[in-house]
Amino acid sequence: MTTQIKLRDCAKTFADGTRALAPFDLTIEGGETIVLLGPSGCGKTTILRMIAGLEFPDKGGVITFDGDDVTHQSIEKRRVGMVFQSYALFPNMTVAQNVAYGLKVHGVSRDESDARVKAMLEMMHIEMLADRAIDQLSGGQRQRVALARAIAVQPRVLLLDEPLTALDAKLRVRLRTEINALLRKLGITAVYVTHDQEEAMALGDRIVVMQKGEIAQIGTPRDIYRKPQNPFVADFVGAANRLDGQMRDGRLHIGNHVFDAVDAFDPRHGAIIDQGPVELFFRADGLSTCDAQDADFTGRVEAVSYLGERLRLTVSGIGPQSVMVDTHADDVIAAGADVHCQINPDRLTIFPAMRERTPAASDAR
Amino acid sequence: MRRNWKFYSQLGLTIVLCLFIVVPVVMSALAGVTVNVFQGLSSGFTLRWIIEVLDLYTDSILLSLWIALVCLVVTLVVGVPLAYVLVRRPGRWTRLFEELLTLPVAIPGLALALALLITYGGVSGYRSSWLFILTGHVLFTLPFMVRSVAAVMSAMDMKMLEEGAASLGAGFWRRFFTVIVPNAKPGILAGALMVVTLSIGEFNLTWMLHTPLTKTLPVGLADAYASMRLEIGSAYTLIFFVLIMPLLIAMQTLADRGKRASKRIDTAEDTL
Ligand SMILES: Nc1ncnc2c1ncn2[C@@H]1O[C@H](COP(=O)(O)OP(=O)(O)OP(=O)(O)O)[C@@H](O)[C@H]1O
Ligand SMILES: [Mg+2]
Repeated sequence: MTTQIKLRDCAKTFADGTRALAPFDLTIEGGETIVLLGPSGCGKTTILRMIAGLEFPDKGGVITFDGDDVTHQSIEKRRVGMVFQSYALFPNMTVAQNVAYGLKVHGVSRDESDARVKAMLEMMHIEMLADRAIDQLSGGQRQRVALARAIAVQPRVLLLDEPLTALDAKLRVRLRTEINALLRKLGITAVYVTHDQEEAMALGDRIVVMQKGEIAQIGTPRDIYRKPQNPFVADFVGAANRLDGQMRDGRLHIGNHVFDAVDAFDPRHGAIIDQGPVELFFRADGLSTCDAQDADFTGRVEAVSYLGERLRLTVSGIGPQSVMVDTHADDVIAAGADVHCQINPDRLTIFPAMRERTPAASDAR
Repeated sequence: MRRNWKFYSQLGLTIVLCLFIVVPVVMSALAGVTVNVFQGLSSGFTLRWIIEVLDLYTDSILLSLWIALVCLVVTLVVGVPLAYVLVRRPGRWTRLFEELLTLPVAIPGLALALALLITYGGVSGYRSSWLFILTGHVLFTLPFMVRSVAAVMSAMDMKMLEEGAASLGAGFWRRFFTVIVPNAKPGILAGALMVVTLSIGEFNLTWMLHTPLTKTLPVGLADAYASMRLEIGSAYTLIFFVLIMPLLIAMQTLADRGKRASKRIDTAEDTL
C-alpha cells in the first residue's frame, strides 16, 4: 500500500515577501523515489516542507495524498517520516528511546513497540547501539538512527532533506547505497532532496531539477543526463562545455566548420532548429583527440589532470571559454602543447542561443 | 619539574586572599557556638544560642523556606514557558518584553518595594499576608529563571527538535514536556537553584515589604543583629549558612557538569 502525492498549483511566498516557489504541479507516484535536485536556494527544502506540512502553499495550492486533501493538515496528522540533514535526534533519549518515540505517540503497546524497535535497529545494523546516548554516536550512526526513527512508525511518505551532506565522501556513498536498497525494500513513496548530481542519479526513479523556484525539468536519471531540456539543466548535470554555433538550412556551423546531419531538436519548443544562433552543451566525451588531418579544431592545452583511467585536458582556443577534453591515460601531453580534436555530433545538446547573450543574432530569427 | 619562586609567591597570595574571606566566616560561625564571645573560645562551646535562635525565629525560617518554594513553583510555571516563547518567537514584542523583564534586576530592590507598596499597600488583606512578599520575590527572581532557561533553549535548536517530534505525530504539549523541557533541564535546574537561593537570601525588598507577622529569615537576622546578643546573631548566621551552602554547592556542581558535557569530544568512531 503506497501513497501517491499530488501537488497542484502550489506556490510559496514567505511572510517577508520572499517568493520561494512559482506555482507548479508535481505528481509523485506511489512507491516512487523522487529526487529534488538543484543549487542552493532554489526551493527544494520548501517543497519538501510543504509535503511534510511544515509549510503551507499560497492560496490556491492543493496537496493530496492518495486523493485525500491534506493541504491544511498539520504535520502531526500527515503521517510522514522525516530525516533531517542535522538529524534532529532527541539528546535526552537513548537510541532505542528515540526510535520508540513515534510508536509511543501512536499508542503502540509496549511489547509491540519493543519488537518493532529491535527490528528497526537490526535493519539499520545498529542493534548494539540501542542504549547509547545520542552524543556518543558518530555522524553516520546518527543518520541511521534518524532513518530508523522515521520509518518505525510506518509513515505514508518518507521525506529526506540532504541526509548525507554532513558526512564524509566515502561514508556518503556507502549510506547512499544502503538507503537505495532500503527504499526499494520498503517500496515507500520517498522524496529526497540533494544538491549532489551523482546522489540524485543513484537514488531517483525520477529527478526534479529545480532552478530559482521553478521546475526546470522532470525526468528519469537517463533523460536528465542525456536529454537535458534547457541550458541550465545541461550545465547542472555536468555538460559544462559550451560552444557557440549557427544553424543554417539544417546544417550546423561552428566557426568555419560545417556539420551535416545534426539532430538539432529544441525540446523546449518541440521544434527542429534549422536557422539561427545556437548554443552547444556537451561533456568531456563530446570532443575527442585525433590526428591533425582529421581534426575539426586545434587548441592549446592549458592544464592536464590525471583521473586514473583517463587524462582530462583543459583546452583553450576552441570556444569562447576553455573546454574539457578527455584522452587516453597513456598519452603524453604537457600544458602548452597543441592538441587536435574531433567533435562527436551525437554527444551535443543544442539549444537556440539565449536572447540576452547574443542580442544581434536573435534579431535575425 | 621544579617549582620556582613565582609559583610559591602566587600560592602565598592565593592563600592570603582566601584567608581574608574565610577567616571572618569561620570567626562568625564560631561565635555562634561560643559561650561568651568577649571572653573568646576559652569560655567553652555551647548549642544554647542555636536553640535560642530556633525558639525565636523558627517561624521566620519556615516562612522563608515556604516563600522560596512557592516562588520556585511560580517562576517555573511562568518562567519556562516564557523563556520558550521568547526564544521560539523572536520579534519586536518579545524583545521589548525581555527588556521589561530585566527591569526588576536593574532597579534597586527598595524602589521595587516602594512601587509595590504604593500600588497595593492599600489592599489590606494582601498587604499583610506572605503573598505580598512572594510577589516581590517572584518579580525579582523571574528574570533569573527566564535568562537561565532561555540560554539553554537558544543553544539547542528547538525548532528542529520540535519538527522532528511533530513528524512522529507528537502534538504541542507532548513535544513541550517530552522534548523541550527535558533538554532544557540544565537551564531549569540552574535557574531553580538560583531562584531558591536568591529568595532565601533576599533582604532589601523583603525588609520593605514585611510586617511584624511576615518576617523572613534575613529580616529576622537583621532583627537579631540589632537587638540581641552578638552570639545569637552569629548563631543565626550559622543556621543561614547551613541552609544556603548546599544550594550554592549544588549550583557550582551543576555549572561544572554543564561545562564538562559541552567539552566532551565525540570519541565515537565513524565505522558505520
Ligand atoms: N522561513 C523563510 N522565510 C523567508 N524566506 C525563506 C524561508 N525559508 C526559505 N526561504 C527562502 O526561500 C528560498 C528557497 O529556500 P529553500 O530552503 O527551499 O532552498 P533549498 O533549495 O533547500 O536550498 P539549500 O540547498 O541551500 O538547502 C531561499 O531564497 C530562501 O532564502
Ligand atoms: Mg535545503
